[in-house]
Amino acid sequence: MDMIGLYPTWFEPGVGSGWIVGFIATIHVLFSHTSVGAAIFFAWLANHAHRHQKPELLEFIRRYGLFLLVFSYVLGSITGPGIWYSTTVASPRGISALIHSFVWMWATEWVFFVIEVVGVYMLVYLAGKIDIRTHTRLSLIFGLTSYTTMLVIVGILSFMMWPGKAEWTQSGGVLNAFYGPNTFAQLGMRTAFMFTMTAVVGGIVAGQFKDLALKKAIASKLAWLGIVSTLVGAAMLQWYLATLPETADVVLQNRLPEHFPVALMTVVAGTLAYFILTLVQPRALVSGLAGVMTVVILVFGLWPEEVARESIRKPWVAGQYVYSNQVVGTDVPGMGVKSEIPKIEAHGFLRTHIFVPEHLRVITDENRVEAGRTLALATCSNCHSLSSTGMRPLRNYFAGDHTEADVAEYLQAALSGGNTLYMPQIPLNDEEARALAAFILTTTPAPAQAVARAKE
Amino acid sequence: MTPEMLYALRDQAGVPSHPVVFLILGVLTFALHIAAVQVMLGAATLALRGAFSADLKWRRLAGDMLTTAKIAVSVAIVIGVAPLLFVQVIYDPFWYTSNVLSAWWVIGFVVLLIGGYIAMYAFYWKNHDIVADGGKGGFWMVLSIALLLAVGFIVHSLTNQMLFPEQWMPWYAPQGQIEAGGRSLHYWHLPRFLFFIALSAPVVGAWLYGYRRYLQGAQEDDAAYLAFVRRLAQQLMVVGGGVSVLIGAVWMLTLPEKMVWFAGSLWMWVAVAALLAVVALPLALRERIDAGYWGYGIFGAGAVGLIVVGAAREVLRYVTLLSAHGYDPLDYRVNMDWYSTVLFFVTFGLIGGVTLGYLLTVAWKAGQHRGEGPYTPSPAITRMGQWSVGLLVIWTLAYFAVGFWVWAR
Repeated sequence: MDMIGLYPTWFEPGVGSGWIVGFIATIHVLFSHTSVGAAIFFAWLANHAHRHQKPELLEFIRRYGLFLLVFSYVLGSITGPGIWYSTTVASPRGISALIHSFVWMWATEWVFFVIEVVGVYMLVYLAGKIDIRTHTRLSLIFGLTSYTTMLVIVGILSFMMWPGKAEWTQSGGVLNAFYGPNTFAQLGMRTAFMFTMTAVVGGIVAGQFKDLALKKAIASKLAWLGIVSTLVGAAMLQWYLATLPETADVVLQNRLPEHFPVALMTVVAGTLAYFILTLVQPRALVSGLAGVMTVVILVFGLWPEEVARESIRKPWVAGQYVYSNQVVGTDVPGMGVKSEIPKIEAHGFLRTHIFVPEHLRVITDENRVEAGRTLALATCSNCHSLSSTGMRPLRNYFAGDHTEADVAEYLQAALSGGNTLYMPQIPLNDEEARALAAFILTTTPAPAQAVARAKE
Repeated sequence: MTPEMLYALRDQAGVPSHPVVFLILGVLTFALHIAAVQVMLGAATLALRGAFSADLKWRRLAGDMLTTAKIAVSVAIVIGVAPLLFVQVIYDPFWYTSNVLSAWWVIGFVVLLIGGYIAMYAFYWKNHDIVADGGKGGFWMVLSIALLLAVGFIVHSLTNQMLFPEQWMPWYAPQGQIEAGGRSLHYWHLPRFLFFIALSAPVVGAWLYGYRRYLQGAQEDDAAYLAFVRRLAQQLMVVGGGVSVLIGAVWMLTLPEKMVWFAGSLWMWVAVAALLAVVALPLALRERIDAGYWGYGIFGAGAVGLIVVGAAREVLRYVTLLSAHGYDPLDYRVNMDWYSTVLFFVTFGLIGGVTLGYLLTVAWKAGQHRGEGPYTPSPAITRMGQWSVGLLVIWTLAYFAVGFWVWAR
């Protein structure tokens, strides 16, 4: 019998593997976007300083560059591969799908990374040791290569949500996968955001300047950069939302916490207010406040945005063909990819999954609960915790006093056809449905408690 | 784990170029990555050794090696992305399984690396002038080196767990009970790990020859310092090289049964010969080492030696998986994608070549510059810079042009 190439599962009962990926990814987005925005801002500022004979502005570049060496090039450069590492263990087939389509795009991005790293060290350590024109050229190269890294990754991130062109499914090819309306909308949104972050984080550096005239000059440039980019970013977000597939829209309306949009709008308004304040009153630009603003944007702006972006592509994790539980859920003839659902329907999960202990491939009365746990690990645990803690615990969905047969029937009715919003198609045969039900019932709390938790 | 199971784990999408391309790039970029890692470890150790010395020559070296180590961490990370990418392309069944089985260690890798890097910066912040003040806060550098070694050990373990598919189920489900917590590292081979770590000594020795040549080019007038660096470089290369080969011999003698064929194979001897040739190079050059670019050439030869070692390591992996498990990464289904393949090689060859050539030339020349005022590049070098900017602009425009064409099509 053909096997399905499903990997072992990593189950993290504390917060859930998805949150660990999300945490690393959010931190990385903050660092990397700030660094790309700052690189372009440096290029402009260096040119401006040289053209208007204001060498004092170069001191800002030097200090901000030094700060970024740690802020972005230590933490950012490690959390970048860190996303790969964490998704590798949380969603191996999701990252594999991206790697096998986009390896050359990522390798291209890597060339720019190398140039970028060499560039930032030179920009910082050669300031004052090379002539002005060369320093300006370095900043230009640094800015351009930083932005090209963003150009590449945005296409891959867009594909995660939705392949660029509809014909990709039939014809395959990186171009069809990479470019689409969502790619450019997302690029616009991220470009605006990176300048906002540059302006906010730049305040941490500029806030330490004792020279008031210099501080005022920098504060005004950062404030204008921040105001314009925040407004453009808000517009770009609307464009981005308009490019999302219909299913994503439904998920946005129904599945996200109600406070998310409010949090996002509050952060946008607060950020604008902060920039206006530092424009009108440069003395207000102090490192502490800028630091607080950075954390506020991270926690109340970036985190909800990343969670939303992750959520709206569910039940898929890559290219609308790899389910969040790692099963290939649909054919992609253009890539020679075949859905694994028919095979599971014919033989069941336990017989076809590679990493199932032999004694669990056939369900018996003795091993039913253990087989059910194996099924839960393989089919549910990517999104639902099997314990009482962590992400969306499975047991909270089964409130009340149910029999094994009730739960099994519900699982088959809700999941076998693939018609439940947000959920992958999980074609459980009768035996497997009973086994999974038996395991779920061993985890459920007392009925009253479960009702309360499910309402949360 | 049967061959059928291993093949089933492959990504259905295939690979966008012939797998041998990824295999070769994997070897080349691994060699560059491990060279940066070894410079990083060697330079960090020399910084620690020198910072607390009463000898000012050692202290001066410590300051420069601290800067070297700091930059080498960045370089090691950024270059390391490439072999990490390529291993996932053709060895995906092995890499992903190994990682998932030790998931917490994979996450720990990220955290420990951040800790190691920040600890190195902490040492740097505490030591603004090692020559004048001597070393301070040695704890941070010890911590940094320990964490960086721990990170190396994790990757060592992950890459070795790949080679034991027959153990995957017992590791995942000991006594048939699934343990999905990913809390254990399941396999390591200390002699193999120590071999690659020990190579840090000869590699940083070769680096010191280059460093000395760089100082000579910048009209360094402290002859005693140059002589000190040369002595140290030679000791590190000869003694460190010898110790590395000895540890390598222990590795060969303790190879797991299915890899025993590698000990005494042609590939092993080629790797040993390459290492010994590099170690012997400064001894053979004698005083010619100060002529022309030979001082730099030793590190170049070292990089070639590491490519040979990297290739032998790849042969060990490839043949083990093929002969013991029936898996051939080179028969991966090719789903050719010309656009992205050409885009990478053009970007790598043209933009990477011209821009990195420009940046490194300016960095080197600026370091060698001893005249009045800041360094101004020659018109020829400046033209390279203009080309770099031009090529980057063209690349960006092409990105949008192609994108809009695809979008509007």
